[in-house]
Amino acid sequence: MEFQKPIPLKTQDNSPYWDGADRHELILQKCKSCNEYSHPPGPSCAKCGSTELSWESQGNDINGKVYSYIVSYRPFLPGFQDDLPLIIAIVELNKLPQVKLIGNILQCSPDDIEIGMPVKMVWKEITEDRSLPQWTQV
Amino acid sequence: MGSIKDRYAIVGVGESERSKNSGTTPLHLALDAARAALNDAGLQAKDIDGFMSYSENDSCTSHQLATYLGVRPKYVKDIMGGGSSTEMLIADAVGLIETGQLNTVLIYRSMNGRSGVRMGGGGWDVNMLQSAIEGGSFIIPYGAGSPAQWFGLFATRHMHETGLTQEHLGHVCLSFYEHAQRNPKAYFYGKPLTMEEYQKTPYLSYPFKKHDFCLESDEANAIIVTSADRAKDCKSKPVYIMGLSARQCVSHAHYWNDLTEVAADYVAPEVYKMADVKPEDINVASIYDCYSWVVLRQLEAYGFAPRGEVGNFVAEGNLRMGGKLPSNTAGGMLSEGYTHGMNNVLEIVRQVRHEYKGSDRQVENCEIGICTGWAGPDMAGAMILRN
Ligand SMILES: [Zn+2]
Repeated sequence: MEFQKPIPLKTQDNSPYWDGADRHELILQKCKSCNEYSHPPGPSCAKCGSTELSWESQGNDINGKVYSYIVSYRPFLPGFQDDLPLIIAIVELNKLPQVKLIGNILQCSPDDIEIGMPVKMVWKEITEDRSLPQWTQV
Repeated sequence: MGSIKDRYAIVGVGESERSKNSGTTPLHLALDAARAALNDAGLQAKDIDGFMSYSENDSCTSHQLATYLGVRPKYVKDIMGGGSSTEMLIADAVGLIETGQLNTVLIYRSMNGRSGVRMGGGGWDVNMLQSAIEGGSFIIPYGAGSPAQWFGLFATRHMHETGLTQEHLGHVCLSFYEHAQRNPKAYFYGKPLTMEEYQKTPYLSYPFKKHDFCLESDEANAIIVTSADRAKDCKSKPVYIMGLSARQCVSHAHYWNDLTEVAADYVAPEVYKMADVKPEDINVASIYDCYSWVVLRQLEAYGFAPRGEVGNFVAEGNLRMGGKLPSNTAGGMLSEGYTHGMNNVLEIVRQVRHEYKGSDRQVENCEIGICTGWAGPDMAGAMILRN
């Protein structure tokens, strides 16, 4: 069955991130001038404006903890009607706590979710050639 | 430039009919609101030389409004913007009057917010949203398409850090619903809310239940701003602007790496400094209330209760009549109507004018009021007004 939900749009500025996701790898944009990670990636560093950017692989063993979350009981966008209740979380990376990523916590009951809960990145194959980074409870 | 404190005034406010299905266009609604504000001020359309509006591409233009009021003003401006734009456009108007470019400005917000474009989400093209919102492709594919979800992420963290509970959110709703029972034009007039009902209502999007969400309505509001000198010639009792501030950025950007700061934290010290008052000098408030939690976070930002004590502040009834800070006394956007904040500004003007004198809707001894705007965690505006 065709994937019903929005597929991340690759752009000139973010394609290394999503290309990495398709290979089940986390690739972050990093500024060579101020050494800060820039997420989501952009045309230049959102912290200092520098155009000296690099892309750094974090590999495929990505762990973090829930920084905040919400639980939606109705779809606010088309395609999510079969994913309810939907947990949307901001996850703080264990190795890079300054980087926080938004995603869904999969296979988790709303009764179990809490701030600080350890989670692990998984990649969901959503089409033949695209994968979406997601999170599961450790 | 010197201080603008007390040198500018709001001299007219007005609104169109409020409904769920206006059956007409935003231009018609805007004309009704503008005529009502002109009538309130005792001015004619030709006295207005600047027209400004904010919208999300769901309104008519200022040029259209002026045209069909039969006038050809010097200046029109339409911006894209949400819930802190009233304060920002009033600041723009004051700047233009101060520099001698304009004399009197009418600012409006007109929307078929229920029957037309709905802010709460739904009906949008998801790929358009991914491009329209900066960083959208990192948010939309995860089902986060509504401000309820975006602001909810701030709310959950803030509740965790400061000990706010669901019941505290409920107290904001109950307080504003109670005000709506004194306002026959409010949507939830005749529909009071009890804590029992709030508690047993299921979540729409945790931590928000339906009562924590603002309404959606078809409505237009208008406000007229001029100098204190010109205000003397108007029919209405002027309400003087003591201070105002608006801000569109915080230290993090367009993706929420830091949930601890909001733009209101920056706006608050500026607006108090300009007005030369303290939070305890404020008698009445309109706190932007797109969601109940947004009120709690702003009560902290604007210094009405210390961080960690905001929950007790609302539980003690301080937002109700007779409390320390009667707030959103027409019912607010949670229970009166929704024009992206402007209806709350109209109410604070009417309270500070003592327009409800003799009725139970008038806040006693209210000489100074504050209204706040929140277009997002990164966008805020505030204005302090006096009689
Ligand atoms: Zn940089």
